[in-house]
Amino acid sequence: MKMRKKLSSALTAISLFLAAASPAGAATKMTVLLDWFVNPDHGPLFVALERGYFRDAGLDVAFKAPADPNDPPKLVAAGKADLAISYQPQLHMQVESGLPLVRIATLVATPLSSLVVLRDGPVKSIADLKGRTVGFSVGGFEDAILRAMLEKNGLKLADVKLVNVNFSLSPALISKKVDAVIGAYRNFELNQLDILKQPGRAFYVEEEGVPAYDELIVVANRKDLARKELKGFVSAVERGVQYLVNHPDASWELFVKGRKELNDELNKRAWRDTLPRFALRPGAFDRTRYETFAAFLKNMGLLKEALPADRYAVELR
Amino acid sequence: MTPLPRPPISAVAPSVAAPGIEISDARLEYGGVALFDLLTLSLPAGRWTCLLGPSGVGKTTLLRMIAGLEGGASGNVAADDGKPLDGRIAYMAQQDLLLPWLTLAQNVALGARLRGELTPAILGEAHALLAKVGLGEYAGMRPDRCSGGMRQRAALARTLIENRPVVLMDEPFSALDAITRLRLQDIAADLLRGRTVLLVTHDPLEALRLGDRVDVMAGRPATLGEPLALSGAPPRRADDPATIARHAELLARLTAASIQDPGGGR
Amino acid sequence: MKISRVLRPAIIFAGLLAAWQAVVTLSGSPPYILPGPTLVARALVDRSDLILENAGITLFEIVAGFAIGAAVGVGSALAMSFFRPARRWLLPVLVVSQAVPVFALAPVLTLWLGYGIESKVAMAVLIIYFPVTAAFHDGLRRTEQGWLDLARVMNGSRWAVLRHIRIPAALPALGSGLRVAAAVAPIGAIVGEWVGSSSGLGYLMLHANARVQIDLMFATLFVLALAACAFYFAVDAAVRRLVPWQIETPPDSEESRVFI
Repeated sequence: MKMRKKLSSALTAISLFLAAASPAGAATKMTVLLDWFVNPDHGPLFVALERGYFRDAGLDVAFKAPADPNDPPKLVAAGKADLAISYQPQLHMQVESGLPLVRIATLVATPLSSLVVLRDGPVKSIADLKGRTVGFSVGGFEDAILRAMLEKNGLKLADVKLVNVNFSLSPALISKKVDAVIGAYRNFELNQLDILKQPGRAFYVEEEGVPAYDELIVVANRKDLARKELKGFVSAVERGVQYLVNHPDASWELFVKGRKELNDELNKRAWRDTLPRFALRPGAFDRTRYETFAAFLKNMGLLKEALPADRYAVELR
Repeated sequence: MTPLPRPPISAVAPSVAAPGIEISDARLEYGGVALFDLLTLSLPAGRWTCLLGPSGVGKTTLLRMIAGLEGGASGNVAADDGKPLDGRIAYMAQQDLLLPWLTLAQNVALGARLRGELTPAILGEAHALLAKVGLGEYAGMRPDRCSGGMRQRAALARTLIENRPVVLMDEPFSALDAITRLRLQDIAADLLRGRTVLLVTHDPLEALRLGDRVDVMAGRPATLGEPLALSGAPPRRADDPATIARHAELLARLTAASIQDPGGGR
Repeated sequence: MKISRVLRPAIIFAGLLAAWQAVVTLSGSPPYILPGPTLVARALVDRSDLILENAGITLFEIVAGFAIGAAVGVGSALAMSFFRPARRWLLPVLVVSQAVPVFALAPVLTLWLGYGIESKVAMAVLIIYFPVTAAFHDGLRRTEQGWLDLARVMNGSRWAVLRHIRIPAALPALGSGLRVAAAVAPIGAIVGEWVGSSSGLGYLMLHANARVQIDLMFATLFVLALAACAFYFAVDAAVRRLVPWQIETPPDSEESRVFI
């Protein structure tokens, strides 16, 4: 999720969490690192927090936002945090690099990443990208995703020029410094472009040759798998999703409660667009999905070996 | 005012007559205290005046004022021929003021360099003058490799090469040993004959050797006592009985002046 | 035991490597957090072509940024010391250029100048503008009064004084500014690359980090450090050629007793 929120807003949010999470005597403290600053993708987490579902499970959860999205999985792997919100594609590569991570739940069960162009721009189909510039943020695998999408449409990766625009995807697109951006989140960048009156159009990666994957997952350190708290966490998240699905408007109020800086037009629209994408059964594990994606990454040269999925993903009992 | 092109210095009287200088009503305050007030001094044309006095009495300040460098001073400084003094003064401060990035020869030729008139001929003159003051082999050396005495000699050469009718010098020989000092006094007296010179010194013997007249400055605010007029052409011999006699007299006056104002201020 | 000039840095370097390995071993740090020197060395060798290619790009950004920034800085300092209006208008710009963190300006510059090398060079220029200008301007302002007095009596024009006295006298100060600039110019280039680029050591580090190739990231970091050091020492040597004279107090006293 590439966003423009300031770290200070996240820090304010954190301190308010710590105040809100009442010290419930025997509650176990848990540090959960988010993937990015607090945003609607974390809806169920905050609903669960505000509704006290974590407390009910005996957990005193503190959410922290990182400055560098690459850090959270490493910190969990190093034992410095209990859980992290991360990305399924990254997980495959992290595990291959030796990080002892295991996916224990899914937060967002569809890809959010997409190839975005200006709706009124010269690119009307992916084939039009030939000879054009595509902006990206360094995430590690965007060129593989793009390559798959291009190849499905008869192009090669060499037919486009890739430019690292870091996290300024929308500005780069609007200023026409690039003709398209890859890695833009369909629930975010599209709304952002709408608000800036420069509407965009998305090509969805899973419709263009990339196998479907979980955009946001919860990862834990392998050595913690036996801990009861993990199951408690996942159950609380499931209750959060449940409440959210049944009471979407009330959930929005819970999300922005005490976090005024989140209450803006962009987040409102993103909230609406993210709602259908949350995993309704966060704990459930789709082995085929993970193994298909691993095979895809291996095909693209990003993985040396496609490991059996239960080596790095579980359904907690 | 652009000065006239400068002929090489020689032991011959300057072609243009050196003017006398009148200083009147000179006043300078320093830190709220008047260093001197309503001071009057006249420097006779073409003659050498030595200014003697205890440390801190204001000799240097007066010299700088005549050179036009003391903005805070008030009073009149004028040449008796009515023409402006600007461009007719050669000035040698107490510090050698050699530029560290230039060689000694280049330093000596600094005036020409600044006025945009530097030629190989002038550099040749600089070398000759350096040789005259005993620094011939060091002409290509930078000041940081030279001793204090050597640097002062180079500064003297720089002053002499300017070939200007009025020469103001502030203790130009203080850092030299006795023998070198005598030799350089002789050279200076030779080359500056016929010019209006004001020499500030703390050495009464030097004043007696070089001056046509010696003024003693003392007190706070400083005043000039009765000047000593000296006979005979400088440089006088140090072992001349007349010189020795006046030496004692000068020493006495200096001692009295020091008691009056035991070293304070600048 | 006399330690030669080559041996000493070699010993220091070996010592640092040993300390690094000790930290890794003692803290039990996994390779994806802090790889040991051997892993990094292997990555350095395996991906040397990739690293060197990007190193060339970053080095170009640093050198170009330094050259342009130094030129602009020198020009600004001269303008400020010679023209009062220039001083009034440039001084605030100078202070702002230093006070605003480079990270904040980077996205703006990238948007203006694009994702190519220009924005990185511009960042480096921005980062060194203040050190160079401030140092040189300071030097120009602090010319020894005695020299200025002498020049006045000698009838040197304002230009002559500037050219023959003020500027040479200010060169040591400029040298100090250039040394500082050489040390910080790499920061500008790297920050520029982080904000938006597809080449250079900064970009390579980002990419390696995202791909969890931490050994490659450290190898790139090592090469960056090496390049930055080499650049600094090159500038230092050049500055010393620029200012070959010693301004400090000369070895005095005894020679005045020498008879000639």
